[in-house]
Amino acid sequence: MSDLPWYNRGLFSSLNLRQKTLLTIALTGLLLLVIFISGMMINANLPTDFSIKMQPPSFEHIFGTDWMGRDMFIRTIKGLSLSIMIGIGASIISSIIATILAFVASINKFCDSFVSWLIDLFASIPHILLIMMISIALGKGAFGVIMAVAFSHWVNLTRVLRAEVLQINTSEYVALSKRFGKSKLWIAKEHILPLVLSQIFVGTLLVFPHAIMHESSVTFLGFGLSPHEPAIGIILSESMTYLAMGAWWLAFFPGLALLIVVLLFDIIGDNLKRLFDPSQANN
Amino acid sequence: METKYIIGAVVAIIAIVGIGAVVLGGGSTQHAPNELVACVAAHGEEPEFGFDPMHGWGYHDSGTEPLIQSTILKRDKDNNFVNDLATDYKISDDFKTYTVTIRDDVNFTDGSKLTAKDVAFSYNTAKEMGEGADLSSMKEAKADGNKVVFTLDKQDSTFINKLTDVGIVPEAGYNNETYGQNPIGSGPYKLAQWDKGQQFILEKNPDYYGQEPYFEKITNLFLDPDAAFAAVKNGDVDIAEVQLAYANETVKGYHLEYFDSIDVRGISLPTQMDTGKASEDNVTIGNNVTGDPAIREALNIGINRQALLDGAFNGYGNVSYNGVASQLPWAFESTFNDSNVDQAKQVLATAGWNDTDGDGIVEKNGTPAAFSVYYNSKATERQAIAVAVSEQAKQIGIDITPVGGSWDDIDPNKYSQGVVWGFGSADPFEIEHQYDSRVACVGYDNSEGLNDSAVDALIDQAMTQDLNASYSTWSQAAQKATSNYPYLWVGTVDYTYFVSDDLDISNSTHIIYPHGGDIWGNIYDWKRVNETQA
Repeated sequence: MSDLPWYNRGLFSSLNLRQKTLLTIALTGLLLLVIFISGMMINANLPTDFSIKMQPPSFEHIFGTDWMGRDMFIRTIKGLSLSIMIGIGASIISSIIATILAFVASINKFCDSFVSWLIDLFASIPHILLIMMISIALGKGAFGVIMAVAFSHWVNLTRVLRAEVLQINTSEYVALSKRFGKSKLWIAKEHILPLVLSQIFVGTLLVFPHAIMHESSVTFLGFGLSPHEPAIGIILSESMTYLAMGAWWLAFFPGLALLIVVLLFDIIGDNLKRLFDPSQANN
Repeated sequence: METKYIIGAVVAIIAIVGIGAVVLGGGSTQHAPNELVACVAAHGEEPEFGFDPMHGWGYHDSGTEPLIQSTILKRDKDNNFVNDLATDYKISDDFKTYTVTIRDDVNFTDGSKLTAKDVAFSYNTAKEMGEGADLSSMKEAKADGNKVVFTLDKQDSTFINKLTDVGIVPEAGYNNETYGQNPIGSGPYKLAQWDKGQQFILEKNPDYYGQEPYFEKITNLFLDPDAAFAAVKNGDVDIAEVQLAYANETVKGYHLEYFDSIDVRGISLPTQMDTGKASEDNVTIGNNVTGDPAIREALNIGINRQALLDGAFNGYGNVSYNGVASQLPWAFESTFNDSNVDQAKQVLATAGWNDTDGDGIVEKNGTPAAFSVYYNSKATERQAIAVAVSEQAKQIGIDITPVGGSWDDIDPNKYSQGVVWGFGSADPFEIEHQYDSRVACVGYDNSEGLNDSAVDALIDQAMTQDLNASYSTWSQAAQKATSNYPYLWVGTVDYTYFVSDDLDISNSTHIIYPHGGDIWGNIYDWKRVNETQA
């Protein structure tokens, strides 16, 4: 008994590593889904009650209340769900862009250098700057923020996928298919896509934390949403004013919640990677 | 492994010492008793073009103390006009010619003499640039010996107010692009240094002709609200203007001073129907919900203003039903009360607004009573007003969506949706800006598009009466306008300052606080008192 590692003892001792990974993914996924759905059901214009403003955490308001007497727990959940929504939109769009660009790069030398140039171009502009420019150009609001985050996060994934596609392209079975006269499209569809699918999937999930962090930075800086709308960044920037008055709960809980959500996505991503990529299964 | 722990411990100790130093130290920076460190300019904002009265320095809805320059007249604590550069002034019977005699013993800080020509130049330039005082009725200003003659296009008895609005700059060598950085004036102080984005430093003008101020040197910091409050807590400043949110805090060594202002907040309610009309700058005019007088009346009588003030202003303000602060000579009693939710619902029902689909929002001919209220997202009190009004309005069945943004976001909606505005001038001419149909939907004037010929006639009449006699006419004009409920006025906002216990800012001699006003008006009476605290 005692020579078993800690994770093979106790409640989950009957599960093998694969089942445990699946369980982790399912539980974190469920938690995020609950946050997302409950947040979606909250009206963005939260009720204000000036008689209970600036109250520290209590059993009634476990995250405390803000300067307009709004419950910070509800605001935080709403903000997180907005973050998750922006994260979903942004990571899906980023992965689509990344996939398309990776395949475009594989067409010929010219396309490849064009895509590399594009990657270098976008990677050389600071993310925040890019996000702010795109979000202003697209008329601010949640839409502007989603698009801005989406159009700035495809870079890393594209780089990975491009390398992957290049590598597969040089393999013998692809060369064989080429000699058999298969079209480039057929090769892309039948040989390359199935192999990079897991990369795309994991990549999509790993964009999430970045997207959420950047969304909150942008809203923190005041781009995008109205200041009465609950986004984590807005909540945090608003709390700055009241920290000097000792209202620590306005920043602490939303910040912690943001951190936890980002970590949860990271856990899902890592575990999925283990499932899909056998070479890492023993890590 | 162990080095890791050692590094960690060292970092932790440094952090603790650092935090401790900030928390415990906080020793106020040493400065001489006759040097003042403040953080108070109007709304804490830095003048974009520097200290140039031609670009509006020293003017906030009505004249405020420009410190560096002199004005023709000033206001005293009772809001009477007193001479500054003027020794005497004459107003013609038709209120079209104002003749001011300028004192001849005043020098600019560069040593040159201030003459009537400089005064005329300043007014003509200010009119041309049109960024500060409203000189629309002035035709020209002309120097005549030691006199300046202002000729007006029309009869305007309020023009005397404008004589407080423009700081006088020297004609010789004036350049509207560089003057703001190196202002030369004749006021009680001269600019010693301006670190853009950080602070400006003023030094006493030794040649000042008027009452000599006590403080030799004034350093004014530009700080964000939270930084300003932190500066107070650290004892870094003698006086700081703080947001209302901080007004209930207590800081050792400081006390809170608050002053009633005439700076009023209200939400404009477009009075026209949306018929596809647009203003000259192509902004849609009118709104089919607020275009119905019943909606505007219901909001005005249904909202609880005191609750709004207690919440949004932390209690530091006074209720206003009509946008005219009670200190002003043309103030009047409101004809209606508020917080009457039932009566408001009755007004709506009588006008045909009923909740037919049971969603709590009334409809008329299929149009739900819904509109947006825009607010400047930098101003927390405006945000609170928009959000709280939207909530209160739901009780009477009106759906208001608050929208925050910059003025660039607000401008395309300023004539077709509600906007949270700030107003407040000691010059009754403001009523013309707010309600005159001839300036409707021009810039920020009469953004609600009020078109009431009786109001226009009263304004014209008031302009041709002696100023003191005209106040009652101005009052009637405002009353007539208010009977259309063009605004949902909320209240005046107090100006709150944390003042060091060893500083006396002479509470009894403050001049009136207009919209965006500042505290410098009675700087001549400020002094350091013996430190009373241990």
